[in-house]
Amino acid sequence: MISPDTTHPPHSLRLRSGNQMMAEGALQAGCTFFAGYPITPATGIFKTMIDLLPARGGVALSAPDEISAVAYCIGASMRGAKAMTATSGPGWALMTESVQYALMTETPLVVALVQRLGPSTGGATQGGQGDVLLAEYCTSGGYTIPILCPTNARECYELTILAFTWAELFRVPVIVLSDKETGMTIESVDVGSLPSITSQNRPSNFAFRELGGFRQNERKGTYYFDAIHEIPVFAPVGGPRKVTATGSAHDKQGRLQKNSPETLEVLLHLEQKVRWRLDDFAVVTADLQPAAGTLIISYGITARAARDAVSEARRMGERVSHLIVHSLFPIPVKKITQAAHNVDEVIVAEENMNGLYRSVIDRHLAGKRVRGVNKIGAMITPQEILEAIMS
Amino acid sequence: MELLTTTNGMEVVYQKPPTLTDTPLRYCPGCGHGVVHKLLMEVVDEMKIQDQTIGVAPVGCSVFAYDYMNIDMQEAAHGRASAVATGIKRILPDKYVFSYQGDGDLAAIGTAETIHTVNRGENILIVFINNAIYGMTGGQMAPTTLLGMVTSTTPFGREQQVMGYPLKITDLVAQLPGAYYVTRQAVHTVQAVRKAKKAIRNAFVYQTRRQGTCFIEIVSNCPSGWKMTPVEANDWLEKNMLPFYPLGDLKVPAS
Repeated sequence: MISPDTTHPPHSLRLRSGNQMMAEGALQAGCTFFAGYPITPATGIFKTMIDLLPARGGVALSAPDEISAVAYCIGASMRGAKAMTATSGPGWALMTESVQYALMTETPLVVALVQRLGPSTGGATQGGQGDVLLAEYCTSGGYTIPILCPTNARECYELTILAFTWAELFRVPVIVLSDKETGMTIESVDVGSLPSITSQNRPSNFAFRELGGFRQNERKGTYYFDAIHEIPVFAPVGGPRKVTATGSAHDKQGRLQKNSPETLEVLLHLEQKVRWRLDDFAVVTADLQPAAGTLIISYGITARAARDAVSEARRMGERVSHLIVHSLFPIPVKKITQAAHNVDEVIVAEENMNGLYRSVIDRHLAGKRVRGVNKIGAMITPQEILEAIMS
Repeated sequence: MELLTTTNGMEVVYQKPPTLTDTPLRYCPGCGHGVVHKLLMEVVDEMKIQDQTIGVAPVGCSVFAYDYMNIDMQEAAHGRASAVATGIKRILPDKYVFSYQGDGDLAAIGTAETIHTVNRGENILIVFINNAIYGMTGGQMAPTTLLGMVTSTTPFGREQQVMGYPLKITDLVAQLPGAYYVTRQAVHTVQAVRKAKKAIRNAFVYQTRRQGTCFIEIVSNCPSGWKMTPVEANDWLEKNMLPFYPLGDLKVPAS
């Protein structure tokens, strides 16, 4: 386990894969429960958790399939454990049933989704960024699921900690969307300079009592909230009072209801608790240039090629801005529109055929010429992005 | 597709079955998959049913099975081979249909499909390769991993308290009324290979009777995942796998 304390002074370079750093970020965040099923290219997270978590008093389980793996995590989280699983596209397809259940039951959960080439079994050892919308829109109703997207091993660590914070604070499933190249490439990480933060914890009765309020919620049911965006106080199963949770449409007590006004309010709340906090979810790296005519938007592994392309274009005298989106969803609309404010053209570079992320952000880029640099089967090169900038 | 009988005046005593393609096997040296592929294709050739046989391969090391077996082959999603085979057999009841699945595919992610396929008595053959490990993804614990066995996800050996017991799914399916012929074989010695071939031949013949599912477990090895030489792996199989997974018939047709 890397600990960002005095064990490693600054400039302690270590070789780490993104998968390893994601597991270590989870441990730093206080994750105590992990379940997984072997799948390339995500197995490294599973393996690292099996190696490190039990020794620290946590639970790491091999599941017979991804359906079980994610369900184990939800059960553990219902008791209060910070829980995580890791998979790739084919396993994600199986997990979506229970991810919907986690969303509906407001159960904190972190899923590492290390993308590979799809569809179906696709290419186990080929990278890709084709699961962006499959991940986001896996729920009936299209409820917003926060998605974080690292571009390198260090960000795998940092964003996994952040994913736990979001999952816990807002009681939602959060996806850390990595990809084969980010997850399996072994690169230098300055482990001495890693942030020493851990993740925050879900609002519990205990915490609210400490803050001197909300105690009345304890008597008002599992999902009680006053304002639509308020996060219900977490009530653990196996605790001092009766807890009911259900994936069926329910009222604030957690009782199955069909379409009572209170049930519809709960459904609205599931979306509004995220929508109301849009600014809190916006994580980007903006490298903007005054008077730039072109803005490159990229994420994940492709952001690294885009960064090279942008510096090369600038060297050649072009004025070009670059926005790396780390929080793909909820879409950081303000950050995107601010970055695109004065440009004529936006180029979205992503390793999928149909310009998946472009298709959902171009509605926020009215009046701009929006183009894509897209490719499948291999990483997009800096040269390909540069050609798009220059053309 | 006839077998050769003589060449240059010399008698042919052994040759690769013609229905096994010339594609070099991608399997690790010493792996049992190649032997089982050969046996299946030998039976297909001997019964002259190349154009009547359809196979369904899994996700796992044998994803490339269609490259080696020159018959119609599908690669199903992980765990779903016997379900896809069910659909094929129901539409083409006169064809010979088999699924070819590893322990993770058949006894972990596909357990429900396996149990229900056999319980329905689908008239297919299920070939189950049990090497007690996930080979393709790098040697993780499988449902059939022996207690105490070291894998990448049981670095201190499989502990019953944490990971439960190895699953004898063949014994389980033998209890189901839909099972017609259930046997456990191996391919680690010449003698075992010959017995395994007889079992495969029986299963193909039984399929024409439409009396239920034929299920053949092949206790196999994984030199790479077990981190042994091929010879060590076969020796380890004999000493450790076979006492827990004893060879022989578990259910045979009444007549």
